[in-house]
Amino acid sequence: MEKIAAAVRERAKRALATGEVDRVFAWKRGEFWYDVTPAVFETADETDELLWDSFCVANLSKYLTGAVRQGFKVGVFVKGCDALAFNQLLQDNRISRENVRLFGLPCPGMVDPEKLKKAKRYRGVRAVARAGDVLALQGKHGEQQVEAPAYLYDKCLVCRHPNPVVYDELLAEPQPVRTPDSDRFALVNELEAMSAEEKFLFWQEQFDKCIRCNACRNICPACSCEKCIFDNGESGVAAKANADSCEEQFFHLIRAYHVAGRCVDCGECSRVCPAGIPLHLLNRKIIKDIQAIYGDYEAGLDPNVPAPLATYRLDDADPFDGHQKGGKK
Amino acid sequence: MQRIGVFVCWCGSNIAGTVDVAQVAQSAAAMPGVVYAKDYQYMCSEVGQNMIKQAIAEHGLTRVVVASCSPRMHESTFRKTAAAAGLNPYLVEVANIREHCAWIHKDKAEGTKKAIALTRAAVAKATLNAPLVAGESGVEKRALVIGGGIAGLQTALDIADAGYAVDIVEKSPSIGGKMAQIDKTFPTLDCSACILTPKMVDAATHENITLYTYSEVESVSGFVGNFEVAIRQKARSVDAKKCSGCGLCAEKCPSRKAKSEFDEGLRTRGAIYIPFPQAIPNVPVIDRDECTYFKTGKCGLCSKICPASAVSFEQADEVITQRYGAIVVATGFDMIELDKFGEYQYGQHPDVITSLEFERLTNAAGPTGGKFVRPSDHKKPKKVVFVQCVGSRDTSGRGKPYCSKICCMYTAKHAMLIRDKYPDVEASVFYIDVRTPGKNFDEFQRRAVEEYGVQYIKGMVGKIFPEQDKLMVHGVDALSGETVVIDADLVVLASATKAKDDAEALGRMLSISTDTHDFFTEAHPKLRPVESHTAGIFLAGACQGPKDIPETVSQAGAAAAKAIGLLSKKKLVTNPCVTTVNEALCSGCLACEKICPYGAIAAKTIELTNNGVKETRVVAAVNEALCQGCGGCTVACRAGAIDLKGFTNRQIMAEVDAICF
Amino acid sequence: MLLEEKTSQEQAFEPLIVAFCCNWCSYAGADLAGTSRLQYPANVKIIKVPCSCRVNPNFVLRAFQKGADGVVIAGCHPGDCHYSTGNYFTRRRFTLLMNMLDFIGIEKERFTVDWISAAEGSKFAAVMNGVLEKVHKLGPNRKMRDKRWKR
Repeated sequence: MEKIAAAVRERAKRALATGEVDRVFAWKRGEFWYDVTPAVFETADETDELLWDSFCVANLSKYLTGAVRQGFKVGVFVKGCDALAFNQLLQDNRISRENVRLFGLPCPGMVDPEKLKKAKRYRGVRAVARAGDVLALQGKHGEQQVEAPAYLYDKCLVCRHPNPVVYDELLAEPQPVRTPDSDRFALVNELEAMSAEEKFLFWQEQFDKCIRCNACRNICPACSCEKCIFDNGESGVAAKANADSCEEQFFHLIRAYHVAGRCVDCGECSRVCPAGIPLHLLNRKIIKDIQAIYGDYEAGLDPNVPAPLATYRLDDADPFDGHQKGGKK
Repeated sequence: MQRIGVFVCWCGSNIAGTVDVAQVAQSAAAMPGVVYAKDYQYMCSEVGQNMIKQAIAEHGLTRVVVASCSPRMHESTFRKTAAAAGLNPYLVEVANIREHCAWIHKDKAEGTKKAIALTRAAVAKATLNAPLVAGESGVEKRALVIGGGIAGLQTALDIADAGYAVDIVEKSPSIGGKMAQIDKTFPTLDCSACILTPKMVDAATHENITLYTYSEVESVSGFVGNFEVAIRQKARSVDAKKCSGCGLCAEKCPSRKAKSEFDEGLRTRGAIYIPFPQAIPNVPVIDRDECTYFKTGKCGLCSKICPASAVSFEQADEVITQRYGAIVVATGFDMIELDKFGEYQYGQHPDVITSLEFERLTNAAGPTGGKFVRPSDHKKPKKVVFVQCVGSRDTSGRGKPYCSKICCMYTAKHAMLIRDKYPDVEASVFYIDVRTPGKNFDEFQRRAVEEYGVQYIKGMVGKIFPEQDKLMVHGVDALSGETVVIDADLVVLASATKAKDDAEALGRMLSISTDTHDFFTEAHPKLRPVESHTAGIFLAGACQGPKDIPETVSQAGAAAAKAIGLLSKKKLVTNPCVTTVNEALCSGCLACEKICPYGAIAAKTIELTNNGVKETRVVAAVNEALCQGCGGCTVACRAGAIDLKGFTNRQIMAEVDAICF
Repeated sequence: MLLEEKTSQEQAFEPLIVAFCCNWCSYAGADLAGTSRLQYPANVKIIKVPCSCRVNPNFVLRAFQKGADGVVIAGCHPGDCHYSTGNYFTRRRFTLLMNMLDFIGIEKERFTVDWISAAEGSKFAAVMNGVLEKVHKLGPNRKMRDKRWKR
């Protein structure tokens, strides 16, 4: 991974130095070793700070919209999920393809610091190196090697697209897919099997934790509205009063509905939620239904294929024609 | 704050019988914004309307809510009332406390409670109503008639006589339709051709009528007054401008396998053919599926012998796009296939025929030259059995559950004609019921029985067995309960009528609805029988339901009158309840554009300054002339940037809140 | 039982059903039910929309928040939409929303979509009676309720 990181840095430097792009969107070190933040690089000199490691989980696509609209030519590094997000933004007319140089990065899966913490691998670590599926935790007292898969984000463990689905150039060898697609619906299936009461209690408990920080929305590549309906006092649904969980239920259900057929299942909503609400389950439920009812459709795969809610078929499944009396055929 | 007036109608005892109208008015008076509330016997009456006008003036009302019958009934009345008093008509809301309340509930307390809730919702919505101004659109002074049978011809002639241009689109190579195939017409026994062909000629020569035969409607867009229709004129392979209609090609064509559609398959025709001698236009057409030249590249005889060099194998389909103010659908009907009725031997035995085949068989210009012989051995039959309701009034699923309406009469006609010409031939009719409502219809049928001695047997035929050269018809006489067996020479089946197979597809193209049986649905079964649900599209003839000729012609005249009424207008008032985009909220994702059935939304690039930075942004823009106000886009829009005037998000939400109060 | 103890109000359970009806078919169907004097309970309250595709999921959730025990969306039969394709979108949108509601524990029986033509007054009454029956069985809806809102 370190070798690729050097190439990544080099490529960004060259792109800025030659004027190929005006801005590069990538990652740089935050305060801690596990803390990598998205960053914008405007000059070749700045790119020394640019990094590519096991913590570059943040999806950069959404950050492009403003710069592209202001007329800048931008370069961006995209992992598999980031590329899906990019395509979705393309489909939503939020980005123009011409002004973006896509540097594809096959992704081996990103490391979840929380998992390291839980496994008590956290203390004293200063840096993490990676070679294939082996993580080298480098600390004060030397180096400790662990198997990477045990510490990857859950979402990375069921990743369908480790390799970008769209790019101008690929900066590393493609990565293998870890699991079959069906795996990501395991929890959805479990919830579906519960009784109405159980389901409601489960979600009520989750939504009760919501503090309406809007992190899920702000990170979401499908939530790219100019002004969110929940920020618009005129819309009549912008209530934020935390009287009880009904507002949160409303917010999360409508948000899930708004991204229905558009969610690329990058899982960022759940990752950034400070309350730990498994929001991605709502989206996955919809993805599962769409696949079951309307056939294979994967948001972000091809921006030219109409989204499920932007089209219809005459012979669509009709769960509502139960009462045939006096009806048509 | 609005100043709202609420007017509660008793509708005589219709509402007041189940709803305590005084209490509704009293409760309404306490609703937010309401400054005046009153109940009255008939709000729609002149006195009631004056009451509203007066209150608007005296109390300075800014909104009016009428709690009365369905808005489908009197919304326009009350809007006009408000407009007369100087209030924008769209500031009126109607609470439906009759159809949706008084008439369905018996308990007065319950009814009153619900009426109050419905009124509260209307008040809540009215509070947010905005004055709307209806736009105007022009009317293209040209009508399209789809179908060139008697319904289409009559409609077109009536519209053309009123001075408007009309185009007739007919799918088959000639106009005339089913009526051209018929020998005689009931109840007068005129010769069908004698009354139809003059109309065909009139249509063909009328200066205002253009015929598109062998043509089909390919697409329809636009809206009332401004339809845009693409018509595909299929290649005839004959240049109509050069062709003199001599018919030499059809005569000499060596291919003779194709069955004549006009003669119901009772004789064959050439691959190049004129459907029937009186066809209009009198221009042959090459059936490319049958033509040896098209199949193998050899032959080409017609081209060689044509004295006018009119045959053109290279001719291609042509698509003509034309604008119309009104469209009349007159596509007619068909007869059902009888493959599910094996017991009648149709298709198995040549002497079991349908009534339409019988029409051709007895026609002087038909395959037998009018000689009454049976198809199998060309001998004159001695006993003829008619079976009615073959597939009509059939709830078994094999046929159609409805009455085909015309069979009782034409069967009586057929039996009578036989007995008239050949008194030695016996004619029997099996029937379920004889239905002969219509001027001189019952008299006609009685004549068949009384004067012509046609034997009517009430009962259905169970089975027909061929036995040597006879057809043994086994039936039951329901009146005596006895089994009847008739050794018939010819059996005529009155098969059910059905809608055209492509009716539903055409309906979809025109956005007009079809019923369970694919007949087009009229806007109101009693009061708007020739209008479809879509403004500017009218219905004539059997495409709307089984019909005989006099009914078809009167409906055609009615449809023409409606079309003329529309075409004579200088301007049409458009629905002001259209969508509008708040550009500040629009992200330009164009989800709205993708689902708009009218293509009313398009992308627009705007320039703006965002925190001092100049940006260009794509937003959605609505063409108000095209928008029909369905509001589908408002739901596709996540940000609520596109909203529907008259049914805004806020208004509907206010109604929800008020109803849940 | 979900949250609170039974109240006296609940013993005489009067459900509230909010029905969104499209102007061209179902609203007219409801009118016909009235004209034909067909009975269905007064608990059903109708809101007119031009087309079933005008119904925003926001409205449905809002109704549940504000105390509806059941929500109905009624539109023209697929293929018969006055706006030709509106109800095809309705069908997709609310197939997904119904499944979502079910997924978070709102009983499917509380949310009904049906196709009722202008000629189907009897179907309108039958559908409403059916909804009432199901909602009666389930009892009052407390899920998603805005507790600040008193009905």
